[in-house]
Amino acid sequence: MAYLELKNVSKLFGPVAAVKDFHFAVAKGAFVSLLGPSGCGKTTTLRMIAGFEMPDAGAITLDGTDITSVPPNRRGTGMVFQAYALFPNMNVRDNVAFGLEVTGHPKQEIEGRVREMLALVRLDDTAKRFPHQLSGGQQQRIALARALAIRPRVLLLDEPLSALDAVVRVALRGEIRRIQLELGITTVYVTHDQEEALSISDRVVVMNQGLIEQAGTPEEIYRQPKTRFVAAFIGTANQLNGVVVDRTQVRFGETMLRAPVPSGLKESSKVVVLVRPESIAIHAAAPTDAHNVLEGTIQTITFLGPITRLGVDIGGTRVVADMAASSRAAFTHTQHVWLSFPPDACQVMAEK
Amino acid sequence: MKQRPPVLQGLLVALFVAYMILPIIATYTFSIATKWDITLMPEGYTLEWYQTAFDHPYFSITLTNSFIVSIAAVLVGLLFIVPTTYWVHTRVPAAKPLLDLLMILPFGIPAVVLALALIRVYAFPPFARSPFLLISACVIFSMPFMYRPISNSLMAIDVHTLTESALSLGANTLQILIRVIAPNILPGILSGSLLVFATVFAEFTLANLITGASFKTFPILLVEFTRRDGRIAAALSVISFTVAWFASIAILWVSGRGRKPTEEALGAR
Repeated sequence: MAYLELKNVSKLFGPVAAVKDFHFAVAKGAFVSLLGPSGCGKTTTLRMIAGFEMPDAGAITLDGTDITSVPPNRRGTGMVFQAYALFPNMNVRDNVAFGLEVTGHPKQEIEGRVREMLALVRLDDTAKRFPHQLSGGQQQRIALARALAIRPRVLLLDEPLSALDAVVRVALRGEIRRIQLELGITTVYVTHDQEEALSISDRVVVMNQGLIEQAGTPEEIYRQPKTRFVAAFIGTANQLNGVVVDRTQVRFGETMLRAPVPSGLKESSKVVVLVRPESIAIHAAAPTDAHNVLEGTIQTITFLGPITRLGVDIGGTRVVADMAASSRAAFTHTQHVWLSFPPDACQVMAEK
Repeated sequence: MKQRPPVLQGLLVALFVAYMILPIIATYTFSIATKWDITLMPEGYTLEWYQTAFDHPYFSITLTNSFIVSIAAVLVGLLFIVPTTYWVHTRVPAAKPLLDLLMILPFGIPAVVLALALIRVYAFPPFARSPFLLISACVIFSMPFMYRPISNSLMAIDVHTLTESALSLGANTLQILIRVIAPNILPGILSGSLLVFATVFAEFTLANLITGASFKTFPILLVEFTRRDGRIAAALSVISFTVAWFASIAILWVSGRGRKPTEEALGAR
C-alpha cells in the first residue's frame, strides 16, 4: 500500500525541467533510494517531499492526505543534509532536542527522547559536545538522531555520506540501514553512488534528466536493466552492438551470439547485447564446449583486490572480463585469449 | 613578501602610533591642566574642569539623552537590519546587490541634508523636532555600520542549510531567527551594535538640527563648552572616550561569555 506517493510531479527551474512527470509510490516502512548522476533531479524530488520546493504540477500525498501545499515545518518529515547542518551554537543535546522544544513538548519527554536517540546512534556520551568537536561521521549520526527525535512520518536523507571518507561511509551506511529497520521508518535516500543505493535499499529509483529510467529492487536494477542508461550507470556492463538474426541469435561482427531476444525486437533490427564482466570466462586456448566465444588480445590488466579485471580488444571493441584473484591462471599483456559467456548472461535491448 | 629594513619598519609603527595616540594623550593632559599655552608641558594640574563639567545642570541630562538615543538606535537598527538581511539572503538573494547599494546611500547624504529634509517632511506632531525623529534619523545615518558586519556574518555561515534543517524540525521563522541564526551571527551583531553606538553617541549635526535645545545630547553640550573653555570641553571629550571604551569592553565581555561553553566542553574532552 502506498504511504508516500508522488503523483505526476514536475518541477521547472526557468525553462529547464528538473523533474518531469515523476510518478512513484513508497510503501510504509520501505527504504527507497533515488539514484542518478548530478543534475538528474533526485535532490529536487527529495526537496519537494520535504516542502522546500513547490512542484509546478502534480501532487504529493502522505498517509492519504495531500501535503503538496503544506509548509515544510508542518510536514513531519525529518531531513538529514549532506553536511554542516548541525546548529554550531548548540551542543549535541540541544541539537537533538531542538525539534521537540520548538514544538512545545514537555521537558521530561524531551530529556527521555534525547537519551533514547543518542543511544540509538550509539553516541550517548557526546551530549555536552559541540558539533565542531565531533568527527564528520559522528556529526552525521547526530544529524540523524536530531531528525528522528521528532518521530517524523518520513525520513529524508540527501547524500548524507558523500562528505565522508570511504571507510566511515561504508560503516555509516550499515548503521543507517540498521536504525531504519529497527524503527521501521519510511525512508527516501538520495545518492549518486550506485553501490550505496544497491546495498541499503528495498527499492531503487534510477533517474536521468528529470525522468525515472527504472524503478525496482536492487537485484532487478542490476540484473535486468531496462535501458542502456541504467545498464551503463549501474556497475559495469559490456555493450556489444549487433543485429537480430532470429529469436535466439544476434550477429556481432563475424560472430553469432546466442542470446534471448525479446519479442519486441524484429529481425535485422539493430540491438545492444549487455554482458556483465563477472559473467565472462577467460581462456588461454580456444574452448570447445562453450557458447558465445570471442577472440581477442589483452590490452589492460587491472588488479582490484578480490578480482582482476582484464580489458580485451575484440576486433576494435573493448570488452572487460573479471577473473577471481584466487585463479592461478596468469595472463600477460598482448596475450591472445578467448572469452566466453552463457546465453542467459546476455541481455538484448534496442540500440535507439 | 619583501621585508622592510627594521629601522624603517620601526619608524612607520612609531609614526602611526604617534598619529593615533598623541591627540588622545594631549586631550587627556589638557583636561587636567591649569594652564597650558606657551610651555611644553602644562604649568600645573587640577581636576577643576571635571568638577565644573559634573556640576553643570545639563551634564547628566545630556549624558542620559545620548545614552537613550544611542541605545535606541542600536535596538531599532537591529530590529530592522537583522530580519531584512536574513530575509534577503535566504528568500531573495537576487536582491542582495540592491540592498548593498541601499545600505551605502546614507554615506552619500550629508547629515545636514538628511536632517533638514526630515524636519521638513515630518513637520507634524508627534514627530516634529522630537527625539523620535532624532532616533529615526540616527538609525538611517548609522545603517551601513549595522548592515555590513551582519551581512558578512550571514555570508560566513550556511544560512540555507541551517534554515532548512530548522524548518524540517518544525521551527517557525521567528524561532529560526532567534534560536539559530542570531546566535551564529553574534560577532556581526555585536560589532555592528558597537559601531552604531559609538557613531550615534558622538553624533552632533543631526541632534543639533533636529532637537537642538529641546533635547540636548552630549556632543551638543561639548560644543557649547568648546566656545566657553577648551579645558572643560577636553574633560567632556575624555568622558565621551571613556563611555565608548566601556561600551567596547562590555560588548567584548558579552561575546566572550557566549564562547565560554565551547571552551568548557573542550576542557572536558
